[in-house]
Amino acid sequence: MSISPLLVYVVVLMAVVGTNLLLAHIIPPRKRTSVKEMPYESGMDPIGDARQPYDVKFYIVAILFLVFDVELLFLYPWAVAAYSSGGLPRELRGTVFAVMLAFIATLVIAYIYAWRKGVFRWR
Amino acid sequence: MNEIVITLITIAVVIGGILGACMYLVLAERKVSAWMQDRMGPNRVGPYGLIQPVADAIKIVLKEGVIPAHVDKALFLIAPAISMFTTMLAFAVVPFGPVEQAPSWLRFIIAPEVNIGLVFIFAVGSLAIYGVILGGWASNNKYSALGSLRASAQVISYEIPLGMSVLGIVLMSGTLDLNEILNKQAAAGILGWNIWFQPLAALIFYISSLAESNRLPFDLSECEQELVGGYHTEYGGLRLVLFFLGEYTHLITISFLTAILFFGGWHFPWIATPESTYRFAWLVKLAVLLAKVLFSVFLIMLIRWTIPRFRFDQLMELTWKVFFPLALANMVAVMVVMQFGMPPIVLLPISILLFAVFGFFTVTAKRLELARRRRASLAMR
Repeated sequence: MSISPLLVYVVVLMAVVGTNLLLAHIIPPRKRTSVKEMPYESGMDPIGDARQPYDVKFYIVAILFLVFDVELLFLYPWAVAAYSSGGLPRELRGTVFAVMLAFIATLVIAYIYAWRKGVFRWR
Repeated sequence: MNEIVITLITIAVVIGGILGACMYLVLAERKVSAWMQDRMGPNRVGPYGLIQPVADAIKIVLKEGVIPAHVDKALFLIAPAISMFTTMLAFAVVPFGPVEQAPSWLRFIIAPEVNIGLVFIFAVGSLAIYGVILGGWASNNKYSALGSLRASAQVISYEIPLGMSVLGIVLMSGTLDLNEILNKQAAAGILGWNIWFQPLAALIFYISSLAESNRLPFDLSECEQELVGGYHTEYGGLRLVLFFLGEYTHLITISFLTAILFFGGWHFPWIATPESTYRFAWLVKLAVLLAKVLFSVFLIMLIRWTIPRFRFDQLMELTWKVFFPLALANMVAVMVVMQFGMPPIVLLPISILLFAVFGFFTVTAKRLELARRRRASLAMR
């Protein structure tokens, strides 16, 4: 019988975290007052909602992250297989090397484009 | 011994070890900051304040965990759990000792069947940001919202240089398994440690990890002067503890990763080599690894009180304009070296050269910009 140790770990961790959350409910005293239930804003009465529209910059960074991180994910399998003993056969390495250089070149072009568009300018 | 029993013992050791380490890291952090600022630090509870963590724990467990009326209750409750769960889960693939020489009742790695350790750590580690985002969003507080917004932009930006810096090592070792990477370095001796081939990657990895775990030169998501507590402003009691445990576990994990990826893990010449098979060799190797990890933790604490906090635009410029091209250039260098069968040691001068050239360009660009701004302000007068 073999159970994946990772699965056991996940279950144990969930139990630990769940116990912590449960203890947070059971142990401490609870006294509700109206001031305690207000948003904390350094003693001022809050004005307006906290969920306001925010700068479009954050969206652009998120999109950029998506692009580059997916490209990065493509690189991992290649990096494992490229030069390991059980990986790519020797006669294919030159071709793959050229292909990867082209791939990285597209990455660099995208990067330069983003830079020229001023995506990295935060002021 | 039965497989499942060993698994359970290992898990118990890891969870207990991490929780205990987190408690004492807080004390160590306070002691180190006291030492750096010429203060005494905590010294009332027990000798040299050694029982302080226990007192803190008891106190914070008994604290009232307020759930304010305006929060999104389900997300508010689950966010700290996500934060701790994911960071602890990332530790599952970290070999925290000599796996091959483990005693019969312990395994030194929780999940040996996962052979894509690095990808697993990055995947699970970046899930931890959900704890921060959800916590900040659910709090429905302006400070929290700003803090989590900053944290998410920061973490996803540093994710890319972080992932790219280790690609060079993956290329050289041909594996994603942390234990195999470690064994390759150990077999090659002290001159086979990856730090000699990838010093630049080590630097980028270390700094990006600091940014990922929101440690002090990069802790914009919770900087006290601007945002009170950042994303955990509305939290208290045990729920706040879960956030902090997640943060310190992240700290421990990145220290382990730095030691394993770049500094040879448990390997040390003469006393802890793959050949040393004397009794309790595993204990010595464990001690060597933990010494390296503790040194890294200590270094992070020193950095915390040495370098002032970055501004947000500086933070984003550092990752996008400096680290990203540097990591990419470093990876291409490794690629070329591997392709043409050059000795890997030529990567050392290449790394230094890249660092020097990029440093020169960055500093010059900054100087020019400052000069331009000074001229503009003079012209206005």
